[in-house]
Amino acid sequence: MAESLPTEFDVVIIGTGLPESILAAACSRTGQRVLHIDSRSYYGGNWASFSFSGLLSWVKEYQQDSDIEEESTVSRQGLIPETEEAIALRKKDETIQHIEVFCYASQDQDTEDNVEEIGALQRNPSSVASTTITELDSACLPEERQSYFTDYEMPANHTQKSDKEISLGITDVEESLEKEKDCGDNTCIHTILGGHKDEDKHTVEDNTGQAKKNRITFSHIVKEGRRFNIDLVSKLLYSQGLLIDLLIKSNVSRYAEFKNVTRILAFREGKVEQVPCSRADVFNSKELTMVEKRMLMKFLTFCLDYEQHPDEYQGFRQCSFSEYLKTKKLTPNLQHFILHSIAMTESSCTIIDGLKATKKFLQCLGRFGNTPFLFPVYGQGEIPQCFCRMCAVFGGIYCLRHKIQCFVVDKESGRCKAIIDHFGQRINAKYFIVEDSYLSEETCSNVHYKQISRAVLITDQSVLKADSDQQISILLVPPAEPGACAVRVTELCSSTMTCMKDTYLVHLTCSSSKTAREDLESVVNKLFTPYAETETNKEEPTKPRLLWALYFNMRDSSGISRSSYNGLPSNVYVCSGPDGGLGNEHAVKQAETLFQEIFPSEEFCPPPPNPEDIIFDGDDKQPEVPGTNNIIMATIDSSEESKNLESPEKHLPH
Amino acid sequence: MQAPHKEHLYKLLVIGDLGVGKTSIIKRYVHQNFSSHYRATIGVDFALKVLHWDPETVVRLQLWDIAGQERFGNMTRVYYREAMGAFIVFDVTRPATFEAVAKWKSDLDSKLSLPNGKPVSVVLLANKCDQGKDVLINNGLKMDQFCKEHGFVGWFETSAKENINIDEASRCLVKHILANECDLMESIEPDVVKPHLTSSKVVSCSGCAKS
Repeated sequence: MAESLPTEFDVVIIGTGLPESILAAACSRTGQRVLHIDSRSYYGGNWASFSFSGLLSWVKEYQQDSDIEEESTVSRQGLIPETEEAIALRKKDETIQHIEVFCYASQDQDTEDNVEEIGALQRNPSSVASTTITELDSACLPEERQSYFTDYEMPANHTQKSDKEISLGITDVEESLEKEKDCGDNTCIHTILGGHKDEDKHTVEDNTGQAKKNRITFSHIVKEGRRFNIDLVSKLLYSQGLLIDLLIKSNVSRYAEFKNVTRILAFREGKVEQVPCSRADVFNSKELTMVEKRMLMKFLTFCLDYEQHPDEYQGFRQCSFSEYLKTKKLTPNLQHFILHSIAMTESSCTIIDGLKATKKFLQCLGRFGNTPFLFPVYGQGEIPQCFCRMCAVFGGIYCLRHKIQCFVVDKESGRCKAIIDHFGQRINAKYFIVEDSYLSEETCSNVHYKQISRAVLITDQSVLKADSDQQISILLVPPAEPGACAVRVTELCSSTMTCMKDTYLVHLTCSSSKTAREDLESVVNKLFTPYAETETNKEEPTKPRLLWALYFNMRDSSGISRSSYNGLPSNVYVCSGPDGGLGNEHAVKQAETLFQEIFPSEEFCPPPPNPEDIIFDGDDKQPEVPGTNNIIMATIDSSEESKNLESPEKHLPH
Repeated sequence: MQAPHKEHLYKLLVIGDLGVGKTSIIKRYVHQNFSSHYRATIGVDFALKVLHWDPETVVRLQLWDIAGQERFGNMTRVYYREAMGAFIVFDVTRPATFEAVAKWKSDLDSKLSLPNGKPVSVVLLANKCDQGKDVLINNGLKMDQFCKEHGFVGWFETSAKENINIDEASRCLVKHILANECDLMESIEPDVVKPHLTSSKVVSCSGCAKS
């Protein structure tokens, strides 16, 4: 694998987030020679998902000081003639801030020296295996983290000063192994019980040890770390949304599987309750009275074709959606459901936006299931990789861990000619697509970014217990005071393949006004209770318990206009990082718009031939037509023949 | 005519260094031909091979080649997901490709396991044995030992060119997968949504609506 990259391409794409990956697939599909690069060791950029240890490594990477010496500028001079100039790219990603980690799960004494992720151990690390190598030193968080636990109120930025040297151990596995041993002794730093509560700990464990058989400890989480697929962004697919349509149209959907979101929840008067949204739900609901059921159905039926009845809302054009709902003879209960759980809007949203959102929700109902949303099995982070696979299948070349120094621009034409990578290699192309976070401060000096506040929690129970413990729920928590932002909560069960058995993975998202913890902690405290506290209580806890929590702010570069960037050549196209919205419509729209700008006459992501249609039966030989390449334009039909790999009935004897 | 009672569908991965003959093996096995100047396979995810295993059992094999990413070793998770077995291929005339075998195996085991947590069955293929320069293979005992140490279920000297041992290697792998499968039954997820199957929109794309 010592081979160097080819140097001539049609399109070079920097960043493997969703819009870049869709573009890579679309370009490769039309026969363009595509090079798709990411400076990170994993796919997806800020759209990525990680195993538990992978996430800890990600945290560590961002908490490292920025003093990593870049021995860059490997003789850029020789490569750039007089007639060209360079536009430098950013050396270090700055999209993630204010990372804070809290561990509430207790530390099992007897399993302490084997805290490692099963399967993470590598005998022979190499470039092919390096993503897993970074998982090796999973168990060790910087010791400075202890400060979180001893001083809960400590401001976030104190935590950034970690000056401990941390090797990610990409090549030196022995070092990582030793580190792991070290951590065995230091693991108590992860637990909230550490320090002043030490004495209580043992007695507490004795009391609850027998009662709670399935007590989940930090080492369980680490050991089962590969069961986790923790997304950096929390999104769902609208079942009639742009992304699901694109997946189907391009047949990239054959790489993905989804689960229905099973419940829409509401948080009202300190209680979590389920929102009836389908017709059947409404009529089966025990929470609603007969009168309410009729009112709700009437209103929802109106929303489905609200455009046909302008007289119903014309007079209220000046009102907000919430004020409008008050005029519709709906009980406060129903108003809350419609505003926060169905339209999922802010109270201040306009009446038209509210009606539009309600209509979209209703239209998505029933396409695949009882709620309008789908969640990708193994996490949202799968989706960019599905498009990358499609790109690769059509000849796209992939290269992760590949840093780019600069664009090379021809002075006369003002067009970008090439990039120069960290080895000093020049790679020529016609078009360049780059994700916003790679652009330098100079390029972005006029850009004003928004921020997204995120929390990731591992909990031991659902926020709303039900007959089945395998529920996927979405909940919008309205702001406590007017003017603040609503917080979107998604709760994932283990059958989504994003968390270990007997746990739930909870994502919180809102647009930032302060640090993520400041924005989200109050909601976390309303819904959950820290693990340690309830252990001292004898009675059964009513709230789910927090085992582990992560807070961070992510930069939101959506909605930045192209003209805000300084001095970019016209053949350099910019994709944004994840937006804070629930769906993926922004990324899909952006990819399609850029594709049509670059290749106006080409179709965007047409379906490829289905490989299942190319069948060569083992018993009778079929000669291949000589001279054809392997694109066999078989007719794709939707017959039984195109059954998919995992359809369950295929595994069962008939 | 009696219909077969059982039908199995397995995804198999074919991995190994550049130029060891992965695509040639797949083409020989599935398409029954060999070309010494093949072009990189474009636009096809996998090749399908149907085996009439025994009178009651049909086995459909999806053989997944590694696409354009292979040179730099950056496979997507999509490639590994749900695979039931793998061939790891090396070229007997190039010792470096054998040295990479252990890397590929540990990479595979770190990224893929059966739903019950066990590693998938992997068969090692010593390809290009027709070229007679097989320095390593002369010592069969050593190879057996190597397979045992690294968790391969077996190894075969193969030649895509001369069609040697490819069917045998495949039968060996399928045999191990079938033996493993009985304890996997319960792990199949019942309520997974496959948009391209459940949606009536599938047929609405321009290319296929006519047929």
